[in-house]
Amino acid sequence: MSEVSIQHTDVSVSQAAARAKAKALRVSNYKFAMWLYLASEVVIFGTLIAAYAVFRYNNPEVVHEVHKEAGVLLVAINTFLLLMSSWCMVMGLRDIQMGNRQGLIRWIAATAVLGTVFIALQAVEYSVLSAAGVLMTPGAEFHAFAAHFYPPTFFHGLHVFVGVLWAVIWVIIPAMRGSYGPGDYLGVEFFGLYWHFVDVVWIVLFTVIYLW
Amino acid sequence: MDENKQTHAQSEHAPNDTVHLPGGRSITLPGGIYTFVFVILALLTVFEIIVAELPDGFFTLPLLLLASLLKAVLVVTFYMHLNTDNRIFRLVLLIPVGVMLLSAMWLLAVPPVAW
Repeated sequence: MSEVSIQHTDVSVSQAAARAKAKALRVSNYKFAMWLYLASEVVIFGTLIAAYAVFRYNNPEVVHEVHKEAGVLLVAINTFLLLMSSWCMVMGLRDIQMGNRQGLIRWIAATAVLGTVFIALQAVEYSVLSAAGVLMTPGAEFHAFAAHFYPPTFFHGLHVFVGVLWAVIWVIIPAMRGSYGPGDYLGVEFFGLYWHFVDVVWIVLFTVIYLW
Repeated sequence: MDENKQTHAQSEHAPNDTVHLPGGRSITLPGGIYTFVFVILALLTVFEIIVAELPDGFFTLPLLLLASLLKAVLVVTFYMHLNTDNRIFRLVLLIPVGVMLLSAMWLLAVPPVAW
């Protein structure tokens, strides 16, 4: 009788191990898919940044003039907001790893708020720049600069907007309904990868577009 | 084991408030390495702004690019967990970045009007 019981336990353990292995492989595959998506984003942003870099290299006077008009204060604040949002994001992940779902909700809500403020400040920055003649309209004073400046920064802002929606719809609301736990947080990790990638893109944009 | 539970890399990111520094020293702060990295990122950003506000010099651009690269590496390594995740993810990121950098350098080498 006891031999049968031991054999039964062995089978259960091996089945559990096989399930865990399959789960680990699935998680790894999902993450790989996410990284492939981010790689495609690298190519898109890379093209936009390279186009701006070539323009900046060939037209330093125009860029200096626009920088003088716009100043660095607003984008510096925005940079700190985005860095802080990345920190909030990773702290939220840390909390859910420790089983603190309320902590996750609070940190991700902070991330979404900081992202929203970032977008609002970007709108203010755009209005300041358009008043200074940085317009996509042909014939505007800084039309050529605008044609290289707005595509990467707007595309990035769009990513922040999508990130805020993602945070609310796929992380905060499900967490409030009881989803995610210390052993089940792949959705949070996915959002984290996306959000941190958006932060990395801004780190490059801030240096190349606003400081160079 | 619960079907919904994850294993693999996630268990490697065990939260810890102690940050181990070079030279065998360590500091403890809320959030551990994540907070430490955030402080470094903020300091590097301040450094970048100061460098950009100084008169243009030979070292301006290299210093800006170096600080930016360092910030990007810190975020990717510690916040995106590339230091503990599967190594193939690094390749997935580095290949397009390499291709993009080569393309940008090629484009920068092209004169604005003609060869």
